Amino acid sequence: MEERYLTKLFGLENAYRIDIYLNSGGYEATRKALKEMKPEEILNEVKRANLRGRGGAGFPAGVKWGFVPKNVDKPKYLCVNADEGEPGTFKDRYIMSHDPHLLLEGIIITSYCVGIHQAFIYIRGEYERIAQRLEEAITEAYEMGFLGKNILETGFDLEVIVHRGAGAYICGEETALLESLEGKRGHPRLKPPFPASVGLFQCPTVINNVETLSNVPLIILNGAEWFQKRGLPKDGGTRIFGVSGMVERPGAYELPLGTSLKEIIFNHAGGMKEGKKLKAVIPGGLSAPILTAEEIDLPMDFDSLVEAKSMLGSAAIIVIDEETSMLDVLKVVTKFYSHESCGQCTPCRVGNSWINKIVKRMVRGEGTREDLDNIARLASNILAKTLCPLGDAAAMPILSIVKKFRKELESHLRE
Amino acid sequence: MVKIFIDGKQVEAKDGSTILKAAEEAGIQIPHLCYHPAFAPEGSCRMCMVEIEGLPKLELSCSTLVREGLKISTTSPRVIEARKSVLEFLLAEHPLDCPICDKAGECKLQDYYEEYGFFESQFKEEKEKKSKKVRIGKNLILDQERCVLCTRCVRFLREITKSEELGVFERGVRSVVDIYEKDLIENNYSGNLVDLCPGGAITDVDFRFKTRTWFLRSKESICPLCSRGCNIFIQYHPGFPRFELPKRVYRIKPRENPEVNGFWICDQGRYGYSYLDENRLFEIVQNGERKQEEQGIVKEIAEKIRRMRYANRLKRVAVILNCWLSNEELFLAKKIFCESLKLEKVFFVDPPLGKGDDYLLTEDRSPNRRGAKEIGFSYKPLDFNALQTEVELLVVFGPFLTENFILAEIKSVLDKIETKILFTFKKNDFLRFFETVLPTAHIAEKEGSLVNVEGKVQIFNQALEPRGKSLPEWKILLDLAKEMSIDFNYYRQFSSPQDIRREMAKEIPFFENMK
Amino acid sequence: MSPESTASLKEKMLRIISRYPRKEAALLPLLHLAQREFGYISTLEEKMIADILGIKPIRVREAVTFYTMLNRKPLGKYHIQVCTNITCSLLGAERLIDYLKERLKIEVGETTPDKKFTLSEVECLGACEQAPSMMINFDYYGNLDKKKIDDILKSLE
Repeated sequence: MEERYLTKLFGLENAYRIDIYLNSGGYEATRKALKEMKPEEILNEVKRANLRGRGGAGFPAGVKWGFVPKNVDKPKYLCVNADEGEPGTFKDRYIMSHDPHLLLEGIIITSYCVGIHQAFIYIRGEYERIAQRLEEAITEAYEMGFLGKNILETGFDLEVIVHRGAGAYICGEETALLESLEGKRGHPRLKPPFPASVGLFQCPTVINNVETLSNVPLIILNGAEWFQKRGLPKDGGTRIFGVSGMVERPGAYELPLGTSLKEIIFNHAGGMKEGKKLKAVIPGGLSAPILTAEEIDLPMDFDSLVEAKSMLGSAAIIVIDEETSMLDVLKVVTKFYSHESCGQCTPCRVGNSWINKIVKRMVRGEGTREDLDNIARLASNILAKTLCPLGDAAAMPILSIVKKFRKELESHLRE
Repeated sequence: MVKIFIDGKQVEAKDGSTILKAAEEAGIQIPHLCYHPAFAPEGSCRMCMVEIEGLPKLELSCSTLVREGLKISTTSPRVIEARKSVLEFLLAEHPLDCPICDKAGECKLQDYYEEYGFFESQFKEEKEKKSKKVRIGKNLILDQERCVLCTRCVRFLREITKSEELGVFERGVRSVVDIYEKDLIENNYSGNLVDLCPGGAITDVDFRFKTRTWFLRSKESICPLCSRGCNIFIQYHPGFPRFELPKRVYRIKPRENPEVNGFWICDQGRYGYSYLDENRLFEIVQNGERKQEEQGIVKEIAEKIRRMRYANRLKRVAVILNCWLSNEELFLAKKIFCESLKLEKVFFVDPPLGKGDDYLLTEDRSPNRRGAKEIGFSYKPLDFNALQTEVELLVVFGPFLTENFILAEIKSVLDKIETKILFTFKKNDFLRFFETVLPTAHIAEKEGSLVNVEGKVQIFNQALEPRGKSLPEWKILLDLAKEMSIDFNYYRQFSSPQDIRREMAKEIPFFENMK
Repeated sequence: MSPESTASLKEKMLRIISRYPRKEAALLPLLHLAQREFGYISTLEEKMIADILGIKPIRVREAVTFYTMLNRKPLGKYHIQVCTNITCSLLGAERLIDYLKERLKIEVGETTPDKKFTLSEVECLGACEQAPSMMINFDYYGNLDKKKIDDILKSLE
């Protein structure tokens, strides 16, 4: 049985309550960080641990924190990205509902490290019940002196506010999240400048995913070397792999980075549901290029997936069986991105909708070979030409499905 | 300054400049839609992408800053393909409205489509349907289907007028620009939105369906409707050989001048051009009859003035000038009336003050009050009523009497004055109170210079042909001076506004740099 | 709305605004509050929120029309939001939609005549391990089949 650290308390009844949490060793990391360590020490530890972002982009957290300018006249902010909109992903929901205090500890330690006194948890509007649970946990933390003024008598102040989104996948993109938090439409910003220097209300801002921050207390308690050993030297730690689709046991599985995809599907998730045959796997959330059944023998870490021309993304593994039509999968993909496009930039706004219209026509049985070629052409005209990564997030899966399942798609054409 | 290379050509670029600006200054145009020099870069249209050596992705030239040694290509195959693809996307959801769209002929989409290949459309789906005739302002109509969501209009109203009437509603391909409820755009700069819109989404009610842009000729001029002196283009139709058009001038457009009006003009100036062609006086009228020759009339006036001079009765002569006259005309007027004739009764009657805004429109509704001041005229209060007993010869320049005095008063005063001469460009009710009326050309129809409220001297050239018998005031004044034979040797050296300008530059320090 | 409840709503709004470094950041929380209170965001709410934040109403409408969870029209008492994204779709979301349409006798996007149920299709709810899933108002239901749906509908008064 694999050792569990992040998900240690999942399944323990009422683990979201602070008394249960404290009994299981909770807030020790916070005590250690605030009372025994200096911010630079914390930063070095997190850097050495090679904690990479678990939201999708995989950017090293310590490096990101290091970009925040030290001596500025403006307040600094932390935004916790709890938008979790990437289809297939539900791990952050698990952390926030089963172990919200772990997240809070991560927030406290990170804020202390970077010099932040106000943190916002931007949580998607649909997670209303989770937001309420977070607010209860925050109230408990305030009452016990882990949040608010002069935390643990160290003179460090921190306020945490839960801020609900209202139904927009694009707000999971960090600059769109900032725009939304500022009270506007979620339109991504041009980068540079980067949020670390010009972020929320034009102030230096750190934006990290829920799971990323939840690893910080573990690193503080056990050290960088320990964390690296849980995973791979370049990709420290474990990840919560969210397996869903045609498997016997869909769910959240905390496993070391580098675990084989095949193993995750067939050992941990119980293999194919009702004895169906595997056709394809989306390894890292809907935006990750699809893998065929022959391609799943690979280790789940950032670099291996890049080599396989896909991505680890949010580590959401979606398992597709032989009976599913890839045209239907393509339809879901194109409908999603055209619906979620913010509309700011030309290629994503028009391109995604256009491709969706072609696919809908194909589903009605009116597709031609030219249409398939056009879909690929239009998707490559979106790729690398948009203002924000949503364009790539749409183009990459579309291109991979059309390329790898071309024969099957052609069988749906009007002939 | 940094050294960069654009398409192989070495360019000196200002530090902190964007690639697009640097290229423009070096004479290389990079296509763009959402970028406008008045606003911060937006980066949403994606037309301005360029290839930078060493970088894997194409970058936006509108927002990427120059760096020493940067090697940029604006014409590589990758860049051309990318631009075509952006154009293709824009045209895919764009209605085929060219035959009925006012913007045709000056539309960026048409221009770029022509430049980038006239490719066949591959779009076989149904286009998004949106509202095509939204009245968004007193002068503006929005067609949401034509809109490419460059958001220039939204940003103009947010950053320049700060009135925020427009916003973007919905999301994705259903996004539309719109007003809130029925809150129309009613600020004094709404017309600029039509110029800003790169396509035909925002059109002018005043211009809608009136004519085709390619028929219009464009000439530079200066707006005289206030003292800002905004630089404009007067766009007129030269006419068709076989039938008459209802209009000559079809619209006014702003001319960029960073020192005067920036990129914009106000709606007063933009839509207030009826004075150019409506209600114009084109004939010489004397005692109710139409006359043919200006020369004869001027001779008569000169004769009268000479006789009164010999009889030492020049204090019974009054001249009314105005601040719509050019510097050259005011200079001549001062020389003739104040210095050669030494008249005391020289007054100014101008359009009354209006409401200024904090931006371009001034309270003063005349273009050259500053010019009059610098030339040396001082404000003398006019007791119009007193003229009836004090004056037997009255010369009036300009149509502004009725804007300051009621008709009955004008009649009663003028009836008591023996000789009355009027030089005007407008047909007015009070014309019949003058025995002699000569038509003048207004600012668009002559050349000269003006001084704006901030003291900037602006030379303007003739934009339109004077019509009928109208003559510019400087010509009439010169003829008058030469006919009067007083200081003849001085006045004979002048035969054009340029000559007068040269003299002004010599004599008045304020105008020393004017040529 | 009675003057007292308007006052207490305004108080709630001011309290929310006070937690943010800039007033305008409170837009989404205020919209959520107004929607909870009135069921949807009409021009009245747009103007009220604009007023209290010191922004123009058009900025409020820009946000309302951008975010899918904000409604400009009233919905039924129970807003049934069925996920039709990838995993739920793999596990039969379409069939469930058809079943709900049949049972409620409405199309997607419509509300039952007794104003009890509105049926919508939504994107991924983040409940993929329980696919097919749906959200009714703010409550999640997973591992759905026709029987479960029947039970849930019956339990909703």
